[in-house]
Amino acid sequence: MIGSGAIPGARFVDPIVLARIGNLELVARSVVDGFINGIHRSPFFGASVDFAEHRGYVPGDDIRRVDWKLYARTDRYYIKEYEADSNSNFAVLLDVSKSMGYGSRGMTKLDYGRMLAGCLTYLVHRQRDRVGFVAFDDDIVEHVPPSAKHMDTVLHVLDRLKPAKPGGLRAPLHKMAEHFGRRGMLVLVSDLYEEPDAVLEAIGPLRFRGNDLAVFHLLDPAELDFSFTDPSAFEDLESGEQIPIVPQKLGDQYRELVQAHITALTERFSANRIDYTMVNTSTPLDHALFSYLTTRERLTRVR
Amino acid sequence: MAFLTPLFLAALAGLAIPVLLHLIQKERKNVVHFPSLMFLRRIPYQSVQRRRIRHWFLLMMRLAALALIVLAFARPFFRRQDLGAAASSGAREVVILLDRSYSMGYGDRWQRALSAAGDAVNGVRGQDRGSIVLFGSGAEVALRSTADRSRLQTALAGVESSASTTRYGPALKLAGSILGESALPRKEVILISDFQRSGWQGAEGVRLPDGAALTPVNISDTDPANMSVTPVALQRSMFENQERVTITAGVANHSNAASSVDLALDLGGRVIQTQRVSPAANGSASVTFEPVTVAEKNIRATVKLADDKLMRDNAFHFVLSPEPPVRIIIAERSAAARDTSLYLARALAVGEAPRFETSTRSADAMTAEDLNAASVVILNDVTPSQAAGERLQRFVERGGGLLVVLGERGSWPQSGELLPGVPGEPVDRSTGVPARLGALEYGHPVFEIFRAPRTGDFSAARFYGYRAVAPAAGAQVIARFDDGGAAMLERKVGNGRVLMFTSTVDLFWNDMALKPVYLPFLHRAVRHLAGYREPQPWRSVGEVVEPSSYTVGRTATELPRVVLTPKGERVTLDEEGPDVLELTEQGFYEVRPLNKEKDSGTAVVVASNVDLRESDLTAMDPQEVVAAALGHAGRVAAGEPEAVPTDQAQEGAQRIWWYLLFAGLLLLGAETVVANRSTV
Repeated sequence: MIGSGAIPGARFVDPIVLARIGNLELVARSVVDGFINGIHRSPFFGASVDFAEHRGYVPGDDIRRVDWKLYARTDRYYIKEYEADSNSNFAVLLDVSKSMGYGSRGMTKLDYGRMLAGCLTYLVHRQRDRVGFVAFDDDIVEHVPPSAKHMDTVLHVLDRLKPAKPGGLRAPLHKMAEHFGRRGMLVLVSDLYEEPDAVLEAIGPLRFRGNDLAVFHLLDPAELDFSFTDPSAFEDLESGEQIPIVPQKLGDQYRELVQAHITALTERFSANRIDYTMVNTSTPLDHALFSYLTTRERLTRVR
Repeated sequence: MAFLTPLFLAALAGLAIPVLLHLIQKERKNVVHFPSLMFLRRIPYQSVQRRRIRHWFLLMMRLAALALIVLAFARPFFRRQDLGAAASSGAREVVILLDRSYSMGYGDRWQRALSAAGDAVNGVRGQDRGSIVLFGSGAEVALRSTADRSRLQTALAGVESSASTTRYGPALKLAGSILGESALPRKEVILISDFQRSGWQGAEGVRLPDGAALTPVNISDTDPANMSVTPVALQRSMFENQERVTITAGVANHSNAASSVDLALDLGGRVIQTQRVSPAANGSASVTFEPVTVAEKNIRATVKLADDKLMRDNAFHFVLSPEPPVRIIIAERSAAARDTSLYLARALAVGEAPRFETSTRSADAMTAEDLNAASVVILNDVTPSQAAGERLQRFVERGGGLLVVLGERGSWPQSGELLPGVPGEPVDRSTGVPARLGALEYGHPVFEIFRAPRTGDFSAARFYGYRAVAPAAGAQVIARFDDGGAAMLERKVGNGRVLMFTSTVDLFWNDMALKPVYLPFLHRAVRHLAGYREPQPWRSVGEVVEPSSYTVGRTATELPRVVLTPKGERVTLDEEGPDVLELTEQGFYEVRPLNKEKDSGTAVVVASNVDLRESDLTAMDPQEVVAAALGHAGRVAAGEPEAVPTDQAQEGAQRIWWYLLFAGLLLLGAETVVANRSTV
């Protein structure tokens, strides 16, 4: 595990401080720049010249692609093949349901998700890939089709998002699958307040089209440690339902349930080869990004 | 323990309020917005745990505060019986204080008081000892500390109410001293009185011994009505050489209803006039009778009201006697002008109380008969002859008064023998600043009435000349000019007095005759020289009279004397016994020399009246006396059943509610602090 202290030059800036900057493009730039400066290379950088495999020469192949060194050793003609070197599609799917509007420490999950989306979009845009964006609650709220010129549009849309309605994954994600005809990379940012199986079922159509899918599960620290003390009526942000709760009595059971949920999600996504990252919104944004990207890099090598 | 308003205890149900606040309100008011109740909904709902009380201390404070406030409103108190039962046992030293002031004669108060005293005596049992103290304005022990109940009852049997006023202080002090001498473990004072407000002049330093109990037995009536005759006003006048007196009498109505009553004037035992008078509620009215002629001495006069529940204040006694004028001889030079003594004679003609009767003579023409009839001689700027001087000296030694006014010619044939100073040369102050009277001896009877500010400005008079006088031995300078020269001197010679004024009493040397102080100054000087005393037509019960101060003619009545009291008793005053007379009864006292009992001309009659403060029957709260005598309120012993005050009175004296309310509010304050700290 790469700890924060082991990364030379990395500046882990508190997201709350970044949120005050207001200009989202600047925020994304500062976080990503800091991150790139720290590790010198991105796992996406140079992806189009990656070697893929050898295959036998068939008439009609460009003789420039023949691997002459291999011919010298084996006396056979092999063609060297590479990964596709064309620009790929990249889109962030951001949950803007009411539950994302929760924040116990001044910064809501939506604010955090917004910055996460902005950072990733900026990162990908620097690689000349096409960037797109979808915001959804129980339906699609905003849709920016992937394009190399849509960086500013995405940031602009991100800026004006507000949590307004209760959310749902299945309907909007199934609807989205129809839009992403071309294979690309999709990043889902949500608090995933649904049963693990239902989550998996909802994102199924996205995967089936060959999209590379990554899931960021955003949770507020209060949702994780449930540090309430006074007996109170707890009101569901989405449904408005109230339940009288004595936190000191129910805290342990709640934490167990949340951990079980995260564990179940981790297992399900792992089994389906989907990158899953649980993000605590109290951790600095570049720390969250860094841990995800390094993990992904290692996993890519394994694959 | 009892409650004055027990219905308030129902408010104790309000104690549920803080519990509900703890259990319900607090949770409902606190709403926490949470992203999703997905997981919380899965946890079984535990209602019992939800109601757990966490701040027990806070809850207890709130409950206690509310309970204290509710209890305060219920007005708790300890019943006297409870206190009595809790008191220590043992033999008692009981002092029964029986009020016998004349207000106790109202209605059947005296019978009730005697009955209450009898009950108190019956309460003296076993080893108990009892004392009986009778009190009015003073206190006397009727029987001191005895265990013999029959003696106590006998002592009560002969007691009658008196004509005196009420004063609690002396009685309580006497009771305190009796208790202080006792060795018995329990000490108790039973105070039987109508508790008149007028009888209580603060605590008067009264404090019963520690551990003593005071049981008030209140025999006052609710809303008493009483009428009393107020002191009369006498206006004297002369009519055809006879003195007439106009009597104005008043009636005070101490009740809440207006009334109309007949007021009778009784002279010498006969009703001679009756007038109707209508005083308003709690008001007074007066009436003036037709003038009566006072032809003889010692006429016994009484103004009477019709009988009411309190008899003693329905009559007012006074004595009417003709008042002889002060006879003054103004002696002048034989060749003096007619108006030499004009200012002097005019000033002395004004007097009414006393009247002055002046006659002007040549200094040398005054005979011994003239001097015998006169009280005062004024030598107005004249030097008497040797013979006249000797006559005057005898006159003064006999008790006469001499005023020597010095002008340019005033002097004395044997200088220094009689006069208070030796007249010297005239001092001329007509040039420059005139002299003024600078220092007056305000302690002297002549100047006493000018002592207060704005009662006479002697410095307004300007003196252009006066005679320098060297004071003689034994003389007193009672007024001086601003340069220190003597203005007025006095000397006692034999039984009489000599006053010397060193300037003139007309306008020749000064303008004092034109100043407002001139007349009162002359009147005071002449009254002083004549030894005049204002007659006292009546006195009050409780006063002490010195019969020697009453004079018959010019000499005091001599010892031994006989006093006839209003009840008809004879008391002899002689050199061995008391030579003063204390007025204890209402009515007329007659004092005569023992050897001249038949001679009414030598008798002195003194009218004695009750003190009218006592006729105001307004009652006070007995607890005020209790609190002052014990040093704290509400501590009384278990007395007779009827002696126990009402619940309201007991509660009012204990005032437990105040402490409860204070404690409750204090707790609420503490609760606020604790609550703020525990919820921050």
